Amino acid sequence: MTGARRFGTGVLGVGVLLGVLELVGRTGAAGDTWPPLSSVLSYGAGEPGRVILARATRATVAEAATGLLAGVLAGVAAAGLGLVVPWLRAGMSQLAVLLSTVPLIALGPVLVTTVGNERTPPVIAALGAGFAVFVAMSSAFSAPRTSLDDVFEVLGASRASTLARLRAPAAVPAFFDGLALAAPAALLGAVVGEWFGAPRGIGVLLVSSMQNFAVVQLWAAALCVSLVSLAAYGTLTGVRRASVRRFT
Amino acid sequence: MNEARFLNRFLQVAWPSALLVGGWAVWVRANGYTDLVAPMPQSVAADVLTHPGAYLGPVLTTTWTALAGLVAGMLLGGLLAVAVWSSRLLTAVLTPAAVLMRSVPVVAIVPVMIGLFGTGRPAVVAITVVVTFFPAFSLVASGLRAPSASTRDVFTVLGASKPATLTRLLIPYAVPNALVAVRIAAPSTILSAMLAEFLIGKSGLGFMFVDSVSYSHYARAWGTGVVATALAVASFVAATRLERRTLERVS
Amino acid sequence: MSGAVVDNGRPSRGTDAGHAAVELRGVVKEFPLSRRREPLRALDGVDLTIAHGEFVALLGPSGCGKSTVLRMIAGLEAPTAGSVEVAGGAPAALIERHRLGVAFQDAALLPWATAWDNVALPFRLAGRPVPEERVRALLETVGLEGFARARPKQLSGGMRQRISIARAMALEPDVLLLDEPFGALDAVTRRRLNLELGAVWARLRTTTVLVTHDVAEAVQLADRVVVMTGRPGALAHVEPVSAPRPRGEDFTRGHAFHEVVDRLVALLDDPSDGRR
Repeated sequence: MTGARRFGTGVLGVGVLLGVLELVGRTGAAGDTWPPLSSVLSYGAGEPGRVILARATRATVAEAATGLLAGVLAGVAAAGLGLVVPWLRAGMSQLAVLLSTVPLIALGPVLVTTVGNERTPPVIAALGAGFAVFVAMSSAFSAPRTSLDDVFEVLGASRASTLARLRAPAAVPAFFDGLALAAPAALLGAVVGEWFGAPRGIGVLLVSSMQNFAVVQLWAAALCVSLVSLAAYGTLTGVRRASVRRFT
Repeated sequence: MNEARFLNRFLQVAWPSALLVGGWAVWVRANGYTDLVAPMPQSVAADVLTHPGAYLGPVLTTTWTALAGLVAGMLLGGLLAVAVWSSRLLTAVLTPAAVLMRSVPVVAIVPVMIGLFGTGRPAVVAITVVVTFFPAFSLVASGLRAPSASTRDVFTVLGASKPATLTRLLIPYAVPNALVAVRIAAPSTILSAMLAEFLIGKSGLGFMFVDSVSYSHYARAWGTGVVATALAVASFVAATRLERRTLERVS
Repeated sequence: MSGAVVDNGRPSRGTDAGHAAVELRGVVKEFPLSRRREPLRALDGVDLTIAHGEFVALLGPSGCGKSTVLRMIAGLEAPTAGSVEVAGGAPAALIERHRLGVAFQDAALLPWATAWDNVALPFRLAGRPVPEERVRALLETVGLEGFARARPKQLSGGMRQRISIARAMALEPDVLLLDEPFGALDAVTRRRLNLELGAVWARLRTTTVLVTHDVAEAVQLADRVVVMTGRPGALAHVEPVSAPRPRGEDFTRGHAFHEVVDRLVALLDDPSDGRR
């Protein structure tokens, strides 16, 4: 299939999807909580809606970015620590699983009392992002030995230089793999974190729209965060593909 | 000697839990919190151990809900992956739809699910299905592309029909990936079942959490969190076991 | 049945008079590289006729397009220009009737299925009942009657390749296609398997196309060795090998065998090749 035809089919597919969304809303087939897509879009483009959505999106993206940065640093550091101190490795992945399975609804109130409601969203974002990066990196670090490892050993490379010159470059694609999953996770974490009394953001908007039964606003807010998350995922997948070409 | 090695092994595995519980105790003590803000680990443990009956019902409810959601989500994701494999137009429609579904926050799906399924158990299960189906969809879809080019060529040259290729080659190849999807989805299914119960449920661990908080019964609220964590970890371990056992048998 | 051969790509007619088993006429194959660059020409006007019951080896360096020729006969690729006919029709027609057999360099077995199930696969794909006696006979033919219940990963590379060959022969195909079937094996195993394949083939006389870069293998097995040169691929020379079958070790040790092998090696060793 040529590129142009694949692109055409893709556009057609998105078109059919949008059409179905609109049609279900127009006919009311799914009840009154499913508005037509066009009214969601016109709310987003219109006067109060655009400002409200832009402000909320900006706040959420900022929190998610902070959390992503912290989570990526923590995830890489933890995976690296497991590599340098093999004794910790078994427990390290358990810690990651534990942290990722603590229910957020139970964690939220605890975080609000400890780090405050303003800093809760980035912390939850960091937890989600850190888990994704940690899992990707630790599986890359624990990849089976290849003949390259043997070459390094025969050449008398130290543990540190093996890490810097072999393991780290070889783990670059896995890093971007983890990052592509971490960015949407951070965004979702920020949104959930905002439920627990954050002053602004998409999460706040979602909760207040749900309580006020502002269905169109609810859909617009959800669409906003989905699009940001899709854009982040798409960009990072592209970066990952480039890194695979360079490092494998 | 043997005991020392056993102790070492135990510490190797147990230090994260010890770190978490210890950190929790130190943090409560250092800030001088009363039981109304944050209870000590021992009072939470005491509540769980002395009232197992109070926890058992909600644990079973949440487990069954999550299991139903997991099975339905895996089936839905697998069927969609096969649909995508079979037709180019369906690929074009379903792939963006699935990716969009994945990036919509759960809380935004809740009102829609209430609109579709009411506020009862079906809505809770539907929410867990939404959470489960994406990993199943994307991993099964990539599993269907896993067989080597030469194996696929053999099937082509032998004149295998499309259904025969699917059932005799592609689906068996997708089994390991489907199991990875189960492992990834199992804990998040438990957690999203709990989240859904928290938002709209009338039973289960999520509802128990809301209920305890509203009565200021914080030892029980925290106990619910601890039990839910344990349940999620257990589901992860069980899924990992299932994966390992099946892989031993099929490959 | 006849293995008789006339010079220069034109065999005498087989017993199934009417049409040849395989006929390539003016076949050109181009692969698009990218939107801007010129397509890569892998084959440049190949003419080849293979008679019924004939064993033809396509010999050449890697990248000369010999596998592309085989893939076109197998119906896995379509020619850019020219025509490919198998048993008087398009390869797809033969595939639909389950009359083709194929084996590749990697055995391409189903990892979860036993040796027996792998050999039985073609019957199942053709929607026919599995004749147990025939599957057992096939396993016996390739010397694996004791390993029916073993799974591929429990077997050596040579054994896996034997299963792959048995699977290719399962439906008694009109044309058997072998793409470097022993290419990944060690020299000793390879020699032994070639001798066995030659013995089996001498009984069955199925029309066979073998792709290989091993000169001795080609000369030992084939009625005709077609030497190809690369970039773009074309037929450079056709060498008939008229030694009687079965060809045992006395044949491969003989003077005539080595003379032919040396001549073909010299032909392949053209220093101008591969520079472009």
